[in-house]
Amino acid sequence: MGKPKAVVNREVCLACGGCVSVCPEDAIMLVAGKAVVDKKGCISCGICVKTCPVAAISFEEVTK
Amino acid sequence: MRYDVVVVGSGPAGSVTARFAAERGAKVLIVERRSEVGVPVLCAEGISKKVDSYNLVEGTKWKAASMAGARIFSPDRTMVRLSAELAGAETGYVLNREFFDKELARGALKAGAKLLVNTLATGLITDGGRIKGVRIKRFGEEFDVEADIVVGADGVESRVGKWAGINTTLKPHDLETCAQYTLSNVDFEEGYSDFYLGKQIAPGGYVWVFPKGKDVANVGIGVLASLSKPGEAKRLLDEFIASHPDLKDGEPLRFLAGAVPVAKPIEATRDNLVLVGDAARQVDPITGGGLMASIEAGKVAGETIGKAVELQRFDKELLSEYEERLRQTLYRKFERNYVVKETMLGFDDKTLNMLADSLKDYNFEELSTLSLIKALVSKHPSLLPKLKPLLKAR
Ligand SMILES: Cc1cc2nc3c(=O)[nH]c(=O)nc-3n(C[C@H](O)[C@H](O)[C@H](O)COP(=O)(O)OP(=O)(O)OC[C@H]3O[C@@H](n4cnc5c(N)ncnc54)[C@H](O)[C@@H]3O)c2cc1C
Ligand code: SF4
Ligand code: SF4
Repeated sequence: MGKPKAVVNREVCLACGGCVSVCPEDAIMLVAGKAVVDKKGCISCGICVKTCPVAAISFEEVTK
Repeated sequence: MRYDVVVVGSGPAGSVTARFAAERGAKVLIVERRSEVGVPVLCAEGISKKVDSYNLVEGTKWKAASMAGARIFSPDRTMVRLSAELAGAETGYVLNREFFDKELARGALKAGAKLLVNTLATGLITDGGRIKGVRIKRFGEEFDVEADIVVGADGVESRVGKWAGINTTLKPHDLETCAQYTLSNVDFEEGYSDFYLGKQIAPGGYVWVFPKGKDVANVGIGVLASLSKPGEAKRLLDEFIASHPDLKDGEPLRFLAGAVPVAKPIEATRDNLVLVGDAARQVDPITGGGLMASIEAGKVAGETIGKAVELQRFDKELLSEYEERLRQTLYRKFERNYVVKETMLGFDDKTLNMLADSLKDYNFEELSTLSLIKALVSKHPSLLPKLKPLLKAR
């Protein structure tokens, strides 16, 4: 349980790297051409969500 | 595998650094995550004609169009026209970056560097805290590449610096989040790169229209991440295009998302480590242009690395000669332009309109900060307090 974590919609992400460069916890990486969030590292600050130019990141899908 | 230097990233910064290091005799390997150098293009492709004087690229494919100058539009569409020489490092040519980046890489390979595409750097290898190479992964297999110097030329999303303990995280206030279409079927004044300013148009950034050839142009937007909402860049760009008579019938040939640091440059050297280009935040904080900066910094970095290999000295003291040299040139400009960026963020649309109105007939031949500010203030005296910080930054 815990707070919802950032989730990247792989179909929308265009691998611009913006979210990676602003994540204060270094919890996002580009892997095989898509941004991937390391859920353990994510502190749910929302910076990446606001930054994404194509709205590919959300908190909607809460971790199981 | 063992090299003198391993460069992570085959963008302009990586290729130019590799070339100048290899020309001085260093054994250099470039590793590139992507399967093709320069693809996908994440750029508006504007560059100053100063690039010619570096003599780094051959042929003509890398160049899409040549610009006479720039036109800057205030929110009420008052236009200020600048010649290419005065418009800065992003106006001159509009590139085909997929070819431009390949030409720069080819230059490095001709100088003796090696390149591995499809190759992701996954971490540093160290020995008692000393950096001695990078771990790479290609086609599912992991390898160690030993090297005396690791170069992080890995772009805005740089991780190499972080691995070495340098804080490369950007504040949202120091990042432009971008979207761009390459539109066909559009109308524009040939030979001019256009910039549109305004809080409603692009909060903390601008919209650009860079012509690539007959009826094709890169039309994009940068929004300051701290002023952005999810998907804001694309949404505002779509709005702008729909409302612009010359662009609204455009058909996209390409769409891209992008991110540009608009920060002050950061620490770029450690023992056995050099950062260059976007990874070192070497981007003009006003325009977000980083191509000329990557080339200028890459040359200095490559020369310094070449010297380090000759002397077999890989300590920060020697490597930071590179930063010292930039401090006299590039960094001085960036520090000043950072103040301009901060000042401009405080301008509302009314102020921008007044600025443009003061400048629309200004003779830019005699460009100096002081004469510029005089011209501005003589027409609209209320601008003076707003421009004070610029006088200090001069
Ligand atoms: C939308 C947009 C418009 C722009 N418009 C302009 C403009 O008009 N004019 C201008 O001057 N500048 C512009 N810029 C900025 C310019 O694109 C950058 O400053 C420039 O590309 C920086 O070059 P670089 O070599 O540092 O990084 P990049 O060109 O980003 O190259 C970095 C390379 O490193 C590779 N890499 C990253 N991590 C790894 C890893 N772990 N392992 C292996 N390889 C890795 C990447 O795949 C990439 O190829 C724009 C940027 C954007 C996003
Ligand atoms: S900011 Fe958005 S488009 Fe860019 S890499 Fe992150 S998720 Fe992908
Ligand atoms: S929500 Fe914050 S911590 Fe989590 S991935 Fe996004 S930027 Fe990083």
